[in-house]
Amino acid sequence: MNNEYGGIVATGIARSFGTVAAIRHIDFAAPPGEVTALIGPNGSGKTTLLLILASLLAPDTGTLTVGGVDPLRDAAAVRRTVGWMPDTLGVWESLTATEILTTMGSLYGMPSDRRRERAAELLAAVRLEEFADKPARVLSRGQQQRLSLARALIHDPAVLLLDEPASGLDPGSRVELRATLRSLADQGKTVVVSSHVLSELDEIADRAVFINRGESVKNQTLDEAGTQIRRYYIQADPMEPLAEALTSHGVTFEVRGDSRRAEYQVMMSSTDQAAWLLRTLILADVAITAFAPAGGALEETYMSLDTDRQ
Amino acid sequence: MSTSTTEQPGSTGASTDLTLSYWNGVKAVFGLEMRQRLRARAWYIMLVIWFFVIGLVFLLASVTTAATEGSGAILFDLVVGFVLFFGLLVAPGLSANAVNGDRAAGTLAILQITLLTPGQILWGKWLASWVASLAFLLVSSPFIFWALALGGVNPAEAFTSLLMLSVELGIVSAIGIGISALANRPLFSIVTTYMVVALLGIGTLITFGLSYALVDEENVEVTYSYLDYPPGTDFSAPIPASVELECVTRTQLQTVHHTDRTTWLLAANPFVIVADSVPYSRGGDFGQVSQPANPDVYVQPGIMEGISVGVRLLQAGPDYETTCEEAQGFGRDLPDESFPIWPLGLVLQSALAGGLLWLGRGKLATPARRLAQGTRIA
Repeated sequence: MNNEYGGIVATGIARSFGTVAAIRHIDFAAPPGEVTALIGPNGSGKTTLLLILASLLAPDTGTLTVGGVDPLRDAAAVRRTVGWMPDTLGVWESLTATEILTTMGSLYGMPSDRRRERAAELLAAVRLEEFADKPARVLSRGQQQRLSLARALIHDPAVLLLDEPASGLDPGSRVELRATLRSLADQGKTVVVSSHVLSELDEIADRAVFINRGESVKNQTLDEAGTQIRRYYIQADPMEPLAEALTSHGVTFEVRGDSRRAEYQVMMSSTDQAAWLLRTLILADVAITAFAPAGGALEETYMSLDTDRQ
Repeated sequence: MSTSTTEQPGSTGASTDLTLSYWNGVKAVFGLEMRQRLRARAWYIMLVIWFFVIGLVFLLASVTTAATEGSGAILFDLVVGFVLFFGLLVAPGLSANAVNGDRAAGTLAILQITLLTPGQILWGKWLASWVASLAFLLVSSPFIFWALALGGVNPAEAFTSLLMLSVELGIVSAIGIGISALANRPLFSIVTTYMVVALLGIGTLITFGLSYALVDEENVEVTYSYLDYPPGTDFSAPIPASVELECVTRTQLQTVHHTDRTTWLLAANPFVIVADSVPYSRGGDFGQVSQPANPDVYVQPGIMEGISVGVRLLQAGPDYETTCEEAQGFGRDLPDESFPIWPLGLVLQSALAGGLLWLGRGKLATPARRLAQGTRIA
């Protein structure tokens, strides 16, 4: 995570609003060329941290560099390299989608032919060409979300900060968002995504920073997350032979109560152990109808952390 | 979604060469603001209402003054006064939610994340709200030209009046923008701006009135003269020139109000600034118009000229020393040493507007260290 390559390095960040400590102590790092997920419950300080990284808020304490530059020293240099997609949908409603993007380009000092070209290109990329000349107020929430992503990309930033980019998107757009973020990271850009849709992040994030109550509680790569203890759900028809087989092999299980159908939950320390159990159950003639990890790797970490979700 | 971005491999640092000159930033904000204003229906509705109200006032006034000598000048004065009055009502509404309205809509942070500086945002927004309020002046122009067409107003007078109207609208817009950057809620900032404008328009008058007692000087010996009309003179008919009037001169002790010491309090009043700056060239004495053809015709001054003359008289201070010559004339000659107070007014108002903008600029500075309670930056 060397500064020379850009990326984000933040250590010991704290920020309070009056008496409310939004961020107590966060260490955060996002290397270029990777998608870093910022995960935490509501009110844990995700948005505040992104505002600090975007050079809009000053931290009370701590040091940070974004793209190798300290925002407190040279905010303009940081802004040239940062694209920020806020969690609120602030749009200039009377402007058309094209005008919003070209206006944004002009605020970054892009020459007029370049920003028009770029606007058309981005509108095509987020599939909003048919709304190019329609006022932004007619866009649906998901479409505005996509326009907001295009707006963040207008000046081709090296660092991309996305606050809940997937909220309000339909499944098709989520898949596209995933592909877009992946390809941006593959170009060497630093991509930071905050979200609580963990299954989405599982597939695109290279690493994750978990924060809770304004503190960074865990920092892991997805490869690490894959090797940890995970929960598996098993269904069989009928369920009785499954219970017997599990008991006879000394596997402890519990009945999952929050599902529509009867399910058993077991803890597996590795994928090898899961494979062994499945093979054993089938050989014991248990009619397995479902055998799957309970959630994504990130969700597993999230649930295992002592987080509070009030 | 991935197509466009993959077309530019290795474009990671492409944006580092971007620069935004100060003027281009102001221009971009101005353009953005104007676009949004021009597409808002409310603005057009206000312009139409404005047109009809000014039109109504103008027509009523032109009917009542039709028989009066020099009605063109009176009408022109009336339109200027009215446009200023309405402009003071409209300009705060057009400016005082420009910054915190954006903040509430979540679009202010979009500006702040770009290369724009707080100064550029404020300049752009101020210019846009000024231009938006100048549109109201433009809509009034048919009536202004109509009054000018009736004659009696010299070009310098008309030009100065309109110029000062524009300046006043600009100052009120600047006050509105400054307050909207300082206050968190649009409603609060609009009301506050109206209060400040009321303070300038009415508060200055009240302050001046209350200060009256402070500048009293008791037991001043004054000498005054008056014409002694013979008992039983019939004032309803012209007094024949053959009657020789005696001028009586007396001395007495009385209380004198030194308004010359407090008139500056009125300087910051928008009406005083506009009226005082206009070079009225219609006569020396109050109410006397020197028309070369018939110098004795009495022509009433318009509203603004009345204010102007009134302020100059207050500024000159009390003059109880009436000479026999003055007693015969229409009124008192303004002393030559009376100097214009509108520059002082402009300085006071500009200082107020500039101070508010300067404080507001601090509120827009990013990375932000202090936020008002209960506000989110985005």
